[in-house]
Amino acid sequence: MRMIRSLACLALSLTLTCGLLAAPARAGDPAEVMQQWYRLVLELVRHTATYSPPVAARAFAYTGIIAHEAQVGGPGGGVTLAGQVNELTALPARDPGLAYDEAIVLNAALTEAVDAFFFNTGPTGQRAMEAMDKALSAQLAEGVDPQVLRRSVDHGQAVARHIIAWSDGDGGAVIDNMGFPETWVLTPGPAHWVPTSTVALQQKPLLPYWGNLRPFALPDGATCGLPPPPDYSEDPGSDFYREAKEVYDAVNALTPEQTAIARFWSDDPMLSPTPPGHWISIAMTELQIEGADGPRWGAVMARLGITLADSFIGCWHTKFEYDLVRPVTYINRVIDPNWQPILITPPFPEYPSGHSTQSGAAAEVLAAVFGADHAFVDGTHLDDGIPERAFASFQAAAEEAAISRLYGGIHFRAAIERGLTQGACIGAYAVALRMSE
Amino acid sequence: MKGIVLALALMTMALAAAAASGETAIPRFAEETAPSGLAHSFTGEWTFMVGGGAAVFDCNGDLRPEVLLAGGTAPAQLFRNDSAPGGALAFAALPDSGLAIDQVSGAWPLDIDGDGITDLALLRVGPDRLMRGLGDCRFEEASADWGFDGLDLWSTAFAATWEKGQSWPTLAVGSYIDRRQEAFPWGSCTPNHLYRPAPGGGYGAALPLSPGFCALSILFTDWNRSGRPSLRVSNDREYYKGGQEQLWHFPADGPPRLYTPEEGWAKLRIWGMGIAQSDVTGDGYPDYFLTSMADNKLQVLKDPASGKPQYADQAFKRGVTAHRPFTGGDPRPSTAWHAEFTDVNLDGRVDLYVVKGNVWQMPDFAEKDPNNLLIQNEDGSFTEAAETAGVLSFAEGRGGAAVDLNADGLPDLIAVNRNAPTQVWRNLGGPGMGHFLALRLSQPQGNRDAVGAIVEIRAPGLPVQTREITVGGGHGGGHLAPLHVGLGTAETAEIRITWPGTAGPGPWQSLAADRVWLLAEQAKPVPIAP
Repeated sequence: MRMIRSLACLALSLTLTCGLLAAPARAGDPAEVMQQWYRLVLELVRHTATYSPPVAARAFAYTGIIAHEAQVGGPGGGVTLAGQVNELTALPARDPGLAYDEAIVLNAALTEAVDAFFFNTGPTGQRAMEAMDKALSAQLAEGVDPQVLRRSVDHGQAVARHIIAWSDGDGGAVIDNMGFPETWVLTPGPAHWVPTSTVALQQKPLLPYWGNLRPFALPDGATCGLPPPPDYSEDPGSDFYREAKEVYDAVNALTPEQTAIARFWSDDPMLSPTPPGHWISIAMTELQIEGADGPRWGAVMARLGITLADSFIGCWHTKFEYDLVRPVTYINRVIDPNWQPILITPPFPEYPSGHSTQSGAAAEVLAAVFGADHAFVDGTHLDDGIPERAFASFQAAAEEAAISRLYGGIHFRAAIERGLTQGACIGAYAVALRMSE
Repeated sequence: MKGIVLALALMTMALAAAAASGETAIPRFAEETAPSGLAHSFTGEWTFMVGGGAAVFDCNGDLRPEVLLAGGTAPAQLFRNDSAPGGALAFAALPDSGLAIDQVSGAWPLDIDGDGITDLALLRVGPDRLMRGLGDCRFEEASADWGFDGLDLWSTAFAATWEKGQSWPTLAVGSYIDRRQEAFPWGSCTPNHLYRPAPGGGYGAALPLSPGFCALSILFTDWNRSGRPSLRVSNDREYYKGGQEQLWHFPADGPPRLYTPEEGWAKLRIWGMGIAQSDVTGDGYPDYFLTSMADNKLQVLKDPASGKPQYADQAFKRGVTAHRPFTGGDPRPSTAWHAEFTDVNLDGRVDLYVVKGNVWQMPDFAEKDPNNLLIQNEDGSFTEAAETAGVLSFAEGRGGAAVDLNADGLPDLIAVNRNAPTQVWRNLGGPGMGHFLALRLSQPQGNRDAVGAIVEIRAPGLPVQTREITVGGGHGGGHLAPLHVGLGTAETAEIRITWPGTAGPGPWQSLAADRVWLLAEQAKPVPIAP
């Protein structure tokens, strides 16, 4: 069975990477519209310089909500999130007496969404967005009554614009300087974060105010907060030293499997679809295997996007509450001045681990969507020459994603284990959203 | 020639009060774009968002180099250099050079057929062309005659080397995206190609150098001073998947192969756009400045004795990150393209010229993105001097060159801008300028310009400077001009040369400063100007 699923995944991954656009979409199929736009969105996230993981997660949330809300009022379109997520007001309604083409509504909405949330992508991304819009719009319009076409486009655009206007007020719409503030005072003391690279921009931490953004399902960034990390100490008998020594020893004795795990989940910005994009990719594959329809796609992408975005807000709130030093800094100072982790240490405080929080949240949501024991094969990085990995459940994948950061040498155990806990807490808020009748 | 003699004599007098204070001297430049007649623009949209370079070389034998500018959608244009020695820059567009070819993204001068007349490699969005120099700044296409299949790719990078025993150069052409891909071009990087000489001259079939990761600059470089250059490739991470920077072995007894992690090659993934090479640290090994977006690198070989190509990034330490505009009020990160080490104040320490410009309306990056002129201080750090020196430009830069255009011993600067006029600045010198040597290496046949030679220069009060004669790197172009070296206050210097294919350096030879010397293999140095 695993072999069959693996082959299915490979086939789907190849489909994802080998030119969906080249194969005409089935006219009027909203699921196909979702697949095509989301394939492009994953590329745009990877190739837009500002899209660090928190920023990417925000875009996934709004794009998913637009995809869901565009289908509300249509056949099987589910329940609006207005009134359920923070400050989202009632959306433009359809005229119940008139006909709409669901694929055209969705395509119009996603075209607006991608234009808005990836306006800052480079010339190649702009060209790709234009090509996608042109090709899909032409395919979907074939044989459709012009009045239905116009009405459907108008409705999709109106829904998208309502949500885009709502997004403007969350505190995350403008990202200056790729997210690195020009001025920021480092917290004094050895326990606190200091730059870990010689990249000039990264002498300040990434997005230190992100924890203050308006979340989606989460009441605020402080919800699902965590207790403090182990007290900083350089005493070899202390918990803090033991955690650092664990990272040091682990990296120095990595097995090939542990190295593979660290690299599989690394998901570096600009070189991958980012960590939240990794979970979006997993969900896309499972939806394709399932043969999900458009409303199901929209609901899953909305719920998953929401929890990913909320998890970065919550995690960042905690990160800057404690502002903890990274392993490489501590280990070089206290244990071994020449030690280096195998992964690039991200340019922001250590506790908790963002990978762990967002993976814990994603697993919570995907388990609710597909089942707690849903086994799957993850081929997110096949294009990059990284082999797929199989998991018995989303929770198992989340736990592997979390521990990968210890193998990579960039997180202590407390940040990993408590990050998963924080993620589960945040995920529960997204799971509680009512999205179907 | 008399003019050059006078200019250099005046220059020598001006240098009499050369720097002794220890303070970094900043030369003054004057922009002479309009009055010089260098009127040309590199134009185009998506397929010309990269490329756009200058080939600088002397095609009429007057020791003042001509300038060929890539045009993108416009024809390339060759300009004859009519500058009076030591005087204002002056250029005349040559309508009948044979180089008015469109879709040109870059150009590099080199003598391909070893006839003593400089030829050109023209990179294009479309089939590349090799242009045979006919003398007197006239050229004709020789691709077919030389068996060169230019392929139909988006070519973006070029380098050449003479492999051992060969009288024709091995050419390497870097390529970019599969331009037919509209919605999903990412991951579509096409292979780079290698053209090795065929027996008797010319070329055989192009050999793909796979994987290609969207190269924007490539350079044959003897990174470990083994006498056998490797191929350094700087790749644009925007478009590759599973890619990284690359270093290729060129073994004598087999096909090229990539350096591996086991050999010490560490994965580096940047928006690689340009390579500049020089020995900044004075250890005798080349260091590399790699341009990128927001994050330029100065790579210094960690441990030459290890034999491993492991590099430390010293950009931050030395103040050459050049990661955001230093003036103009645009706080967004920079986009850097052509880079070149040059000694603009002749103090014996290489400086760094970086051409910058937004890719194409990318709002995450600075749109007012000034070029950098980073002057090296005595302690090895660099100080930004573009504004003080008078070379401030906010145009959308791409290629460039730092070459003495008016035979006064001072490097002048060119910036090729996208959809805007190319700019040129004359180096006027100023207080504290040093002395210089200009060295034109020559071999009797084949590799006439001694590409691959290592030149060491030692002068009192300065570390030994080590330079390699290369063809390649930069962004979109390069120059074939006498090797230019600052000497500080020294009025004589000693040089020695490791000629290509020889086992070790020749003897030290003493040369008087402030002259252009012809250094023919197994012959005594001859001053050719003044």
